[in-house]
Amino acid sequence: MFELIVNILLFIFLGFTFFTHVLEAAVPAKVTKNPYALQPDVWPKTIIILLEICLIINIIQIIRRNKGNPEFTLAAFAKSIPGFLKSRLFLGIVIMVGASLLLETLGFIVTSLLILFLYGMLLGEKNIPRLAIASVCITLVLYIVFSGMLSVNLPRGTIGFLRSFALFLESVVGAVKGIF
Amino acid sequence: MTMGELLASGLAAVFNPGMFFMVCVAIVLGTVFGALPGVSATMAVALGLTFTYTMEPIPAIVFLTAIYCSSITGGSITAILFKIPGVPSSAPTTFDGYPMAQRGEAGKALGVALLASAFGGLVSAIAMFLLSRPLTAAALQFGPSDLFAVTFMGLSILTCLDSEHILTCIISGLLGLLLACVGQDKMYAVQRLTFGSRELLAGIDMIPVLIGLFAVTEVFKQTNPNKKRLTAEDGVTGGRVNTKMPSLKEIWGIKWTMIRCSVVGTVVGILPGAGATIASFLCYTMETKLSKHPEKFGTGIIDGIASSEASNNAATGGAMVPLLSLGIPGGNAAAVMMSALTLKGVQLGPLLLTNQPTYLSATFMSMIVTNILMVIVAMGIAKVFAQILAIPYSYLGPIILMLALIGTYGDQMSATSVQIMVLAGVLGLVVRACHLNSAAIVLGLVLGNMCEQNFSRGYLMSKGSIPAMFSPTAHPIAFVLIIVCILLLVSPAVMPLIKKAKAKK
Repeated sequence: MFELIVNILLFIFLGFTFFTHVLEAAVPAKVTKNPYALQPDVWPKTIIILLEICLIINIIQIIRRNKGNPEFTLAAFAKSIPGFLKSRLFLGIVIMVGASLLLETLGFIVTSLLILFLYGMLLGEKNIPRLAIASVCITLVLYIVFSGMLSVNLPRGTIGFLRSFALFLESVVGAVKGIF
Repeated sequence: MTMGELLASGLAAVFNPGMFFMVCVAIVLGTVFGALPGVSATMAVALGLTFTYTMEPIPAIVFLTAIYCSSITGGSITAILFKIPGVPSSAPTTFDGYPMAQRGEAGKALGVALLASAFGGLVSAIAMFLLSRPLTAAALQFGPSDLFAVTFMGLSILTCLDSEHILTCIISGLLGLLLACVGQDKMYAVQRLTFGSRELLAGIDMIPVLIGLFAVTEVFKQTNPNKKRLTAEDGVTGGRVNTKMPSLKEIWGIKWTMIRCSVVGTVVGILPGAGATIASFLCYTMETKLSKHPEKFGTGIIDGIASSEASNNAATGGAMVPLLSLGIPGGNAAAVMMSALTLKGVQLGPLLLTNQPTYLSATFMSMIVTNILMVIVAMGIAKVFAQILAIPYSYLGPIILMLALIGTYGDQMSATSVQIMVLAGVLGLVVRACHLNSAAIVLGLVLGNMCEQNFSRGYLMSKGSIPAMFSPTAHPIAFVLIIVCILLLVSPAVMPLIKKAKAKK
């Protein structure tokens, strides 16, 4: 049922996109007046039309394949939702979505600590002190290697003390680099 | 200067202990840079440049060339072990490399990847030396119609990525092509499919989608079954990762794959704007079609790894051909190489052979030496990386997520990229549940822009006539390639019918 719902939603979304969002700005006059120029909406519109045709065929195939299947109902699908919301997978997704949204505010160091610690627990690590120590060590190694040695600009965070700590760490790595 | 003299000057420039040591250092750096997600070959050369400021021109050329070649190879290590392509051109390596690592054949997969890379690199280096001028002249004959046909050929893989779900593979590929349309249209800068988001104006970058669909989805998938430690089945026996190398017989078995893909990779590398990513996808497609057992591709066979790795390394050498003989970079990494070489006083272009022949021979010879030494040096690095698989998954999973996050953030310095990566990770789960295909989405995304741009240019040049774009008289290359593409696309649907008819008789 989930597959069917995704296909139907995609079909509706693409139909909506076709009429409203393929072109979001005016096409320059020199392009519209040029009879030999491929207009900027032709390519995406062609892809959407092909997609819509394929989706219709796929929807028909899904319905045919599941004819007579007692699990293939909306009620059965609705029943499976609470189970998914309580699953580790859902928690994992929440952790990663949260981390991606808070990355620039909290900065790399705190985000990394949170991901390593929380996801480690989610993956079944029982030894919490060891996980905590490992999270700190891995975060420092990653920060030193990527930010200090490879000059990848990792986010320092916008919260005052977190930013100051990141800057302090960078200055320490910079000083060590200067010695060598 | 004759060929013999050129060869002798190259040998004299590279064959000394100091230079050998430097090449080894460059290979270590290049392989590690390439293996780190988010540090692309372009970035690896840029990082390597800092080491060469005080060097003389020839050692600097040797050092940078070694970094350039080995960084592409390094990308295969994480692609095989963690399903994170270190560089985009290693994406097809994950299709067969990761299943092999999961099956306990990480060592074999890495061995094949390194040998195929070295072979591809050597073929392209020799091509660069012998055929630089004629190859460049031939590549310059490729017009937009021909380039469109080359790209379209890469897309023909869609029908054979999963023979049981051809329709969903086509849907996935079309979704990838549509994602490539997001942002400003590359021909006329008209805003499309952004839904008002400023962040999407520049388009959807390939790296976050690639890392999200492959690496993040994989960790998400492992979250539910609570996979604590990899078992013997996963390549870990007695706490040690199985690093058994491929046998000579196995390597001999893929000789034609390596030869074909090295030649095609070199040619694609020479084409302006094509590059290693397109070469690896195209050769993977080609091998799937030519193989006697296409159904095994994607399940973990060495042919798949060899095709991708031989071609992407050959493309790096191929990109050096127009760079050295015409001063035209074939891709992003070649463009950085161009700036680096210019900084060292190399006059790239037709006069290089006349004015600075030693620089040309040093570049050629360093590519040869790098590709030979790389097998030994990179194998050591790969073995160290392979041991990481023995770490409990409760530590390894989050580390993979962090590497994915750094790789994505480091590419664009934007949290939006990280959000796209996570979204792609979730999308990967949906894709799996709906029998869609992640590889097909990536393929569409990678080839989409080039396909559209070349089609658009070809259409304009042939005055709005599609038949004229592929006319056998005006564009014979495009004509032949399009015919081949059509045959390749139709064959999975037609072949079973032909077989059925034969069986009935």
